[in-house]
Amino acid sequence: MIEVKEIEKKYGRKKILKGVSFTANKGEITCLIGLNGVGKTTILNAIMALTPINKGQILIDGEPLKEKTFEKITFIPDAITMLPQMKIAEAMEFMKDFYTCWNQDRATELLGFFRLNKDDRISSLSKGNTAKVNLLLGLALDVDYVLMDEPFSGIDMFSREEIANVFTSHLIENRGVIITTHEIGDIEHLIDKVVLIDNGLVTKEFNAEEARENEGKSVIDVMREVYIG
Amino acid sequence: MNVKLNNRDPVYLQIVRYFKEKIAIGEFEPGEEIPSRRELANRMKINPNTAQRAYKEMEEQGLIYTEKNHPSKITTDKMTLGMVREELLVEAVDTFVTSVRSINVPVDELLDLVKEKYTGNDDKEA
Repeated sequence: MIEVKEIEKKYGRKKILKGVSFTANKGEITCLIGLNGVGKTTILNAIMALTPINKGQILIDGEPLKEKTFEKITFIPDAITMLPQMKIAEAMEFMKDFYTCWNQDRATELLGFFRLNKDDRISSLSKGNTAKVNLLLGLALDVDYVLMDEPFSGIDMFSREEIANVFTSHLIENRGVIITTHEIGDIEHLIDKVVLIDNGLVTKEFNAEEARENEGKSVIDVMREVYIG
Repeated sequence: MNVKLNNRDPVYLQIVRYFKEKIAIGEFEPGEEIPSRRELANRMKINPNTAQRAYKEMEEQGLIYTEKNHPSKITTDKMTLGMVREELLVEAVDTFVTSVRSINVPVDELLDLVKEKYTGNDDKEA
């Protein structure tokens, strides 16, 4: 379980996170939803210790983040971090050198799953295919938790479908996933838990299926209530 | 396996209902193997935990059964199978009756109309 407890973050005088708390379970897909600029990416950065927080605590399986934790958790940022002149195969090699938890079999499977050609240069890929390579590099790690920042933004509908298919496949099975998004539409049926973020605070944390079962509300219904009132 | 899910009813119940319909019209035969939870999730584009929940619900209702290390199968119990058909039928008729009652139409006239429409549709489909 990833526990985010009362975290606060300031950039200069500007308070981005004002005491954010939520949990994300293993084996579940947790979706952080909020408009642009409410602090979603900052939360992911904070979980990965890519940015220091001013207050609060983050626990992963009950322990604070340390060096070893990075073999347990991975972050897939919204833009690929590999050098553009690398071929896909070289990027995979690069990851293999850095992570002991790199799983070559899974990487090869993902190549097929996304119909990518490992000899293609990253700079020559379309936006959708670049996003797929980015996901491949993260998902091929044998980690318990995967954080994804906006995996669907700016991607055509068919590529989105292909990416959404990953979530129902064994490639994600039993892992804990946190994804951020501001468009929930096509993944509404895929997610377990929703955390609504607004203005640096969690406005609501709920289980999507429970909202449907107990209140007859879709995720978007609940969002409308929270944001428009 | 293609089903249009709505966003407001619990997804697992929509899956259970889908199975009931297929059982009622005989598309899923008694004793037939059904897809694994993972396969179902993938085909229906739903969360695997939800697929798991739907199967659990169907097991509890006796619609499917699972023997150790084997894929789940549709029940062969005649009573359960008969009940599924009846349940769907009664439910559909109830909905119909509720909505038609407000129009206050004599039952004979209604039945004639139902007969006409129902058989008429049959011809069209055939």
